[in-house]
Amino acid sequence: MAVIIDKLYTELNGLSLKNPIITASGTYGYCDEYNDFIDVSNIGAIVTKAISLNPRAGNKHLRIAETKAGMINSIGLENIGIEKFLETKVPLLNKKNINYIVNIAGSTLEEYVCLAKICNDNNIKAVEMNVSCPNVKSGCLEFGTDEDSLYNLVSEVRKEYKGYLIVKLTPNVTSIEQIGLAAEKAGADAVSAINTLKGLSIKINRVNGKYQKTIVQGGYSGAGIKPVALSNVNRLYKVLSIPIIGIGGIETLEDVLEFFAAGAQAVQIGTINFTHPDTAQKLIIELENYMDYNGFKNLDELKRELRA
Amino acid sequence: MITDTGKKIYKAHVKRIEKVSKSTYFIEIEPREKQEIKAGQFISVYCDGLTLRRPFSVFSNNNGNIGILFKERGKGTAYIKSLKEGNDIDIIGPLGKGFSIKPQKALLIGAGIGIAPMAFLKEKLDKIGAESLLAAGFLNKDEIPSNVYPQKIYTDDGSYGEKGSILNYLGLLINEFKPEIIYACGPQIVLKSVSRIAQEYNIQCEIAMEKVMACGIGVCRGCVIDIKKDGKVVNATVCKDGPVFNGNEVVWQ
Repeated sequence: MAVIIDKLYTELNGLSLKNPIITASGTYGYCDEYNDFIDVSNIGAIVTKAISLNPRAGNKHLRIAETKAGMINSIGLENIGIEKFLETKVPLLNKKNINYIVNIAGSTLEEYVCLAKICNDNNIKAVEMNVSCPNVKSGCLEFGTDEDSLYNLVSEVRKEYKGYLIVKLTPNVTSIEQIGLAAEKAGADAVSAINTLKGLSIKINRVNGKYQKTIVQGGYSGAGIKPVALSNVNRLYKVLSIPIIGIGGIETLEDVLEFFAAGAQAVQIGTINFTHPDTAQKLIIELENYMDYNGFKNLDELKRELRA
Repeated sequence: MITDTGKKIYKAHVKRIEKVSKSTYFIEIEPREKQEIKAGQFISVYCDGLTLRRPFSVFSNNNGNIGILFKERGKGTAYIKSLKEGNDIDIIGPLGKGFSIKPQKALLIGAGIGIAPMAFLKEKLDKIGAESLLAAGFLNKDEIPSNVYPQKIYTDDGSYGEKGSILNYLGLLINEFKPEIIYACGPQIVLKSVSRIAQEYNIQCEIAMEKVMACGIGVCRGCVIDIKKDGKVVNATVCKDGPVFNGNEVVWQ
């Protein structure tokens, strides 16, 4: 299906997208699997599954649990590693003309810097930094929860990487404003917000007089986190000059408009991809129809009115 | 016309739904487009209001209609049970790798609801003329679905067929039937024992695994298990690399 969408053209401080609908890291793989369902090249951009310097096996045991309005995952960043990604996935993405953003994750500053350099040398156009990883050298505090360590991390990555740099912010902080400002000051071109919330699922069964518990601790995502995401996006919008890409429980056109109203310039679609793999494509068509119906010529006009 | 066009989202409708045992239901779904389905493959059903689709092994595929067997276990299956003839249903599939179909003497072991893919496999094996024996174990007589026809039935309480776990009879079945391959589906504890016994008798063994899934297509890595590959233990997704695995490659927890 051809989707013609000049009207949806989105410019994010140097990154051009044909539309503002992006698929979130970890929910779209490296996109090859989704080609069965839709023409992925129609999507504004896809963010790859987080990629680390070396392949990672991820966490053991039970990795997912459904919650009332979403899910908890503790995948543990299982991935094929940057080398194999460049070798096997990039040619496919390029061949299919898919606009992709590489999500990178490390457990030390050095790993991030090394990944940044590799991305730079391989002409990766855009990178999103997952900064919700524990820093093994500082007692496993997450990089993204401390403004100084985040500033330092993003600055060092910025030195090595000349392409478009997005920092994906964690909501598990006291002041997302301070963290966002640190990312901006360190040279990020945009921030994306929010990453998952910390969550715990305990499913209890009583069998033959004994409790059986199924426990998953990890990142909470899906419809339930939307109000938290909107709040974080809006607080960032009030202090940052760089664009904000909104993420968190977005499922419908209404959700997309709410994120625009809160200050997001583009949005990422996450957990709903698992439920309805064609959501991104549907949202693009719906957004275009909505703009036609209401007489908006471009997205800036729509966003301006939504924020007024 | 039945075509093989890969994974798809289907807007389908419920052709019929009926109770087939005390706690088992059969639902037949008519998709708009019809596809070839391999035994062991599954479909992923959207359950209104729930984040995760629910995977179900395909039980039958007559004239392109997809049949599944299920028990009401939670919100997902309660939703499916509530559907009526003619209702819309949203499915993705067929997904995953199926059982290998070979002209070999095959013993099929279905425990509980694990009978579903085994009954479908039996049909496929019959079609190529492979000799097979379908043996099934249930808790009791009331749990035996009325639309399955195993040649051997075992019940835990002896209310139908032979008394006791099907596992107690596996050695005997192997000695009498002398299969070249064993296929199994059921609770993990059954699959683990079947795999071990098959290995002891040096018989090929294919089992269908089950795990909570999110995407169903290998993207999220939520349903991984450990398998042995080239002497190393590696991750495999139940949804895409499976659900069918060789019994001797699974590393049991």
